Amino acid sequence: MQALLSFDQSPPLDAPFRFFLTAPLFAILAGFFLLWSGPELFASRWTPAALALTHLIAAGFMLQAMLGALVQIMPVVAGANMGRPMRVARIVHAAITLGALLLVAAFLSFLPLLFKLSVVFLGAGLAIFVGCAAQALSGLASTSPTIQGLKYALVGLSVTVVLGVLLAGSLGWSLDFPLMQLSNIHLSWGFVAWGTVLLAAVGHVVVPMFQLTPAYPDWFSRRFSFSTLAVAALWTLAELCTWEVPSDLLGTALVAHAALFAGVTLHIQRRSKRARFDATQYYWRGAMISALAASAVWLLARTVTNVGEWPAWPLLCGILVLFGGFMSVIIGMLYKIVPFLLWLHLQNQGRGRMPAPNMKKIISERDMDHQMLAHLGSCTLLLLAVFWPAVFVYPAGIALMVANGWLMRNLLSALSVHRNHLLKIEQMIGNPAQ
Amino acid sequence: MTQARADRVIDGRDMEPPEPFVQTMEALDTIKPGQKVLLLLGREPIPLYRALELNGYSWQTERTAEGTVEVLMWHKQS
Repeated sequence: MQALLSFDQSPPLDAPFRFFLTAPLFAILAGFFLLWSGPELFASRWTPAALALTHLIAAGFMLQAMLGALVQIMPVVAGANMGRPMRVARIVHAAITLGALLLVAAFLSFLPLLFKLSVVFLGAGLAIFVGCAAQALSGLASTSPTIQGLKYALVGLSVTVVLGVLLAGSLGWSLDFPLMQLSNIHLSWGFVAWGTVLLAAVGHVVVPMFQLTPAYPDWFSRRFSFSTLAVAALWTLAELCTWEVPSDLLGTALVAHAALFAGVTLHIQRRSKRARFDATQYYWRGAMISALAASAVWLLARTVTNVGEWPAWPLLCGILVLFGGFMSVIIGMLYKIVPFLLWLHLQNQGRGRMPAPNMKKIISERDMDHQMLAHLGSCTLLLLAVFWPAVFVYPAGIALMVANGWLMRNLLSALSVHRNHLLKIEQMIGNPAQ
Repeated sequence: MTQARADRVIDGRDMEPPEPFVQTMEALDTIKPGQKVLLLLGREPIPLYRALELNGYSWQTERTAEGTVEVLMWHKQS
C-alpha cells in the first residue's frame, strides 16, 4: 500500500494510553483493598470500606477508561476535535488520578482535609475535561445517536460531578446536606445518565462495527439518550421534593432505561454475522446480562419485603453493576480500541513501505480469553462474598488482582509489539519513527 | 445509482475494522486516473475522509434509505 494513512484527527497515542494504563492499577488496588479490609466491608453499602471500594472502581477504573476512550473516540467517531489534546489529557489525568486516591483515603480516614482536597482535584480535573469536550462537540449538529448521546452523557457527567462535589464538600466543610438522599441521586446519575448514556452513544458505533451486528433499532437510537436524561431529571425533582409515588415510578423508569439498553444490545448481538464470538463479544454479553440481573435485584428489593429488608442487596446490585457490568464492557472495548489505535499508528509510521502487523496479533486471542476467564472468576467470587463474606472476600481480592494484573500485562504486551515494530520501521526506513 | 458509476466496489458492511479501510486504500492505489472506487459501509467513515484528503483523493458520500453509507472516491486530478 502506497497511500499515507495519516489520521491527524487522532490525538497522539500517549493521550488515551495514559488513562488506559492507569485504569487496571485502580482495580488492582481495589483487590489489595479487599484483602486489607476483610469481611467487614460487606456489612453495609455505607461502611467506609465499601464507599472506598466503590470509588476505586467508579472514580478510578471506570473514569480513567471512559475519559481515555472519549479523548480518542470523539475526534475519530464524531469528528469532534479537542483543542490541545495532549495538554488536556496530561492535566485531567493527573488531577483525576490524585483526586480519586484522595477520595478513597478520605473515606477511610474521614479527615475533612482529604475530602476538601479530593473535591479540588476531581472537581477541577473533570470541569476542565467537560469544558474541553463540550467545546469540541458544540459546533457539531446532533446528526447521529452517537453525537447526541455524547452531548447528553457530558450533561450526565456534569450532574454526577456536581453532586459528588456537594457530598464530599459537605463532609469536608461540615455542611448540612441530606447525604443519603444525595448519594442515591449521585449514583443514579453516575451509573445511568452518565455511564449508560455514554456506553449507548459509543455502542451505537462500536457494537455493529466490531461485532458485525445490525444497527440499533431506530426507535431506540432516536430517543434513548434524551429520554434517559429527562427521566433522571424528573426523578431527581420528585426525590428532592419527597413525592413518594412519582419518585417510585420515575425511579423504576430510570432503571428500566438501563435494562432496555442491555436488552436491545443482547437482541442485536444475537444477530451477529460473526461465526464465533470473540472475547469482546463475550464481555459485552456478560455485561448486559449482569446489568439485567442488577435491575432485577433492584426491582425485587422494591417489591418483595424480605429482599428489601436484606441489608446486603445494595452490595449485590453494586457488584453486578460495577464489576459485572461496567468493568466487563470496558475491558471488552479496550481489547478492540487498543489494538486498533496501535495498528493505526504503525500503519502511519510505515509510510506505505512496511505494513502494520495484523491487528489480531497485537493482543493474542488466547491472552484475551484467559484474562476474561480470570475476570469471570473474580466477579463470581465477589458475588459469593456478598453472601459469605468471611469465606470469599480474600479469594475475591486475589482474583481481582490477578484478572486486572493480567489485563495490564495484555495492554503492556500490545505496547511491546508496537515498540518492536517501530524499531523495525526505523531500521528499514532509516528515519525517526515518532 | 452510485454503484453503476464505480470501477471497483468494496462492500465493507460485513468486515471488521480496519479491513474496509485497508481494502479501500489498496483499491485506490490500483485505479487509473478517471476510475472510481465505491465503499459501502454501515456508518460514516470519518477517519477515511481525512486520509483521502491527505492522499489527494476526492469523494462523495450518499446515505441510502436502508442506512448504507456509500462513499465514491477518485483521484483529484481526474
